[in-house]
Amino acid sequence: MNNHIQAPVRRTLVLLVAAGLLATACSGGAGTASPTRAPSVAPTVAATGTPTAPSSGTPTASSVAPTASPSSAPSATATDAPSASPTEAPSTSASVSPPASPASATYEACASAATAPITLTEWDQEVREGIGPSIDQLEAEFMAANPGVTITRTSKSFDDLKATLLQALQDPSGPDIAQVNQGRPDMGTAVQGGLLVPLTPYLTKYGWDQRWGQGVHARNSFSEDGKTFGQGNVYGVSVTGEVVGLYYNKEKYTALSLSEPKSWDEFMTQLQSIKDAGETPIEFGDQGGGGSIQVYGSILETMLDRKSLDDFIFGNEGASFDTPEATTAAETLLSLVDKGYLTDGYAGIKIDDAAVAFGGGDGVYFWGGSWYGAGLTESGGEKFGFMRTPPQAAGGSALSIGGVGLPWSISKNSKNPECAAALLDYLTGDHAMELVAAKGVLPSHAAANAVGPGDLFNALSAAFGDANGKDEVGHYLDWAFAGGYDTFNAELAKLLAKQSEPAAFAKAIDTAYQEFLGSLK
Amino acid sequence: MRRPGERAWWPYAFAAPTLLIYGLFVLVPVGLTAFFSFTDWDGVRPPTFTGVDNYVRAFGNDLFLLSVGNNIAYSFWFSLLPIGIGLTITSVVARSRLPGSAFFRMASFVPYVLSLVVVGVVWTWLYSPSRGPINQTLRAVGLDGLARPWLGDFDFALPAVGFVGTWVQYGFVTVLMFAGVQKISEDLYEAARLDGASSWQQFRHVTLPGLRNEITVALVFTLIASFRIFDLIFVLTKGTPGNKTYALSFLVYKNAFETHDLGYAAAMVVVLTLIILAISVFVVRFRERGGVDG
Repeated sequence: MNNHIQAPVRRTLVLLVAAGLLATACSGGAGTASPTRAPSVAPTVAATGTPTAPSSGTPTASSVAPTASPSSAPSATATDAPSASPTEAPSTSASVSPPASPASATYEACASAATAPITLTEWDQEVREGIGPSIDQLEAEFMAANPGVTITRTSKSFDDLKATLLQALQDPSGPDIAQVNQGRPDMGTAVQGGLLVPLTPYLTKYGWDQRWGQGVHARNSFSEDGKTFGQGNVYGVSVTGEVVGLYYNKEKYTALSLSEPKSWDEFMTQLQSIKDAGETPIEFGDQGGGGSIQVYGSILETMLDRKSLDDFIFGNEGASFDTPEATTAAETLLSLVDKGYLTDGYAGIKIDDAAVAFGGGDGVYFWGGSWYGAGLTESGGEKFGFMRTPPQAAGGSALSIGGVGLPWSISKNSKNPECAAALLDYLTGDHAMELVAAKGVLPSHAAANAVGPGDLFNALSAAFGDANGKDEVGHYLDWAFAGGYDTFNAELAKLLAKQSEPAAFAKAIDTAYQEFLGSLK
Repeated sequence: MRRPGERAWWPYAFAAPTLLIYGLFVLVPVGLTAFFSFTDWDGVRPPTFTGVDNYVRAFGNDLFLLSVGNNIAYSFWFSLLPIGIGLTITSVVARSRLPGSAFFRMASFVPYVLSLVVVGVVWTWLYSPSRGPINQTLRAVGLDGLARPWLGDFDFALPAVGFVGTWVQYGFVTVLMFAGVQKISEDLYEAARLDGASSWQQFRHVTLPGLRNEITVALVFTLIASFRIFDLIFVLTKGTPGNKTYALSFLVYKNAFETHDLGYAAAMVVVLTLIILAISVFVVRFRERGGVDG
């Protein structure tokens, strides 16, 4: 018997090792077959093959209106050709999809295309029901109204877009227009690298300053050097809106004689009475993260005023997370667990699965973003209501997590930034808002005629409008620092599992936060 | 005319296309990764050279050290346990000509063939706290106390992920051992029996030495797998609860593609590479010295 592994075998082993390393080194996509999004927001594929709604996740992904419908499977990459032939004359395309307001789709900025054709390459992550086809339709209308303009649309999963976009923006033949994830890691990095066109001039040109308040623009703003978040130039505009709050089951509301609570105390009293009646007060899940961060954030933001939240999110001078409010909110969250108000075994349930269970009739409340609306509408929209998280005191003001969806930006490499800006204007105009609303997607600003397809949508729209109108749209906590989403998830899980204390939790977040702020200097 | 000892050049010409591809898609990326590990790079602005800062940072970072520790823990579930199970099954079943053993071999191999993403989705469902069959079975037989949110439990999440790894790997190991045991001469067993060897002694002194090569291969493959573990974590837990189930490759992914800290991610991948290389070399050397019952 040979006592040695023969040389060829050994060499094979070495090669295998090398191959293994390579796969690891390139593990971005190589290792994962799933078309999931970035870990923080991956829409997990349920055992049934039904795509679950995106984890309430990051602010980022939330723009998408994820549904639980099988038809909206998140495709890895789908290049959707616009429904109308791009180069066709307006007369032809009118029959394809009649624009509601054809005149307003014609832009002076694209007029030169009539003589020298313009091609706009556009990358987005709107792959879902409702919003995906809306973009197709809007772009087709735009092309029809602006002869010579061709839009090449590529839709990717959020994950793929995020992983490839920064590289693509550096490519002279890369996209002219792309959705760039809000916050420091993505938009901030792109601005620092000088990859995006400042959109500030268009605020007055197209009246974008009227479309959204300063609070909304701040989310898509950075200083020229990309180091200061929340002020300076605007680098993107959003098509969709979002708000995080409480969904409730109307049938159970009736059975238990409940009505929308007006204050936090009333809400807590209700939860106890629901529990006493043998129901699960709050349908919840936190496996893999994503659930507790929205609940914690919702609670915390009812305790904060606008300035202190902004200071934290934008990293203003002296900002800290180690505050009495942060600790109190953690204690409140913990009390929900201790009193048994959350679904049993929530630590092993994904938040998206909890949403599906809620849609199936489990629980009285579900804490989540408007992006669950489309899925719940399909489970029977008339059965569910939606309200903003109640303020601490009845009639008082409270911030609600929310904002606008993934913003659309223009690449520095675009050869036709003016025409690209015109397209952005069209995609975010009143007509576009009416169109997406009709398809059940929350629009990023209230357009006069935006009417949705049902009660639940209207409730969401009302909540968003209410928060917007009172300037009470809060922020996603994880925007504050790179890696924030994971840090919050990890620390909240420890808190809920009694591996940590409320004060220690606030301190741990603050440590990571300060470390990040320090690294910016 | 070729002098003795002189080597012909033309064999290399045949190998050139392969070497070129290998160089382009393996050596160059590996080299670049090593280069970037000494820089601070966000993938957008030009990298700035920072020396060994990234390595210092990694070894001073709790999450990095935790991930390395977890990988070592995973290697028990992905490597040692499957090999133990594989050897046990082989010793019990392989030499008895039981009916249906071909089916058994095939069935045990199925998990290894499945995409790990599919495996992850299936096990997510199995582990589901209220609707999953595991907890339902436990409750049905009165063991309610044992039912728990497996993947969300701070103490059980890592073993739960590891167990899936065991389930995936044992079939591969078993098939390998089955194949190996077929080529051990029946004479050896007969001789052992004549000398009065018990079945344990037969296993210890005939089967085990006969399977040395297979064990080595299984060790190398499964250990590498346990350090490369990514898919399962991505699908099952994303490193949660807390950071309990993090593994190195997942941490690398996070830093490279989420926070765009590519230099730091590269440094960690280099460390991961060296760990895997060291393990492989160690296992092969150990085997060469006849370490496994030589």
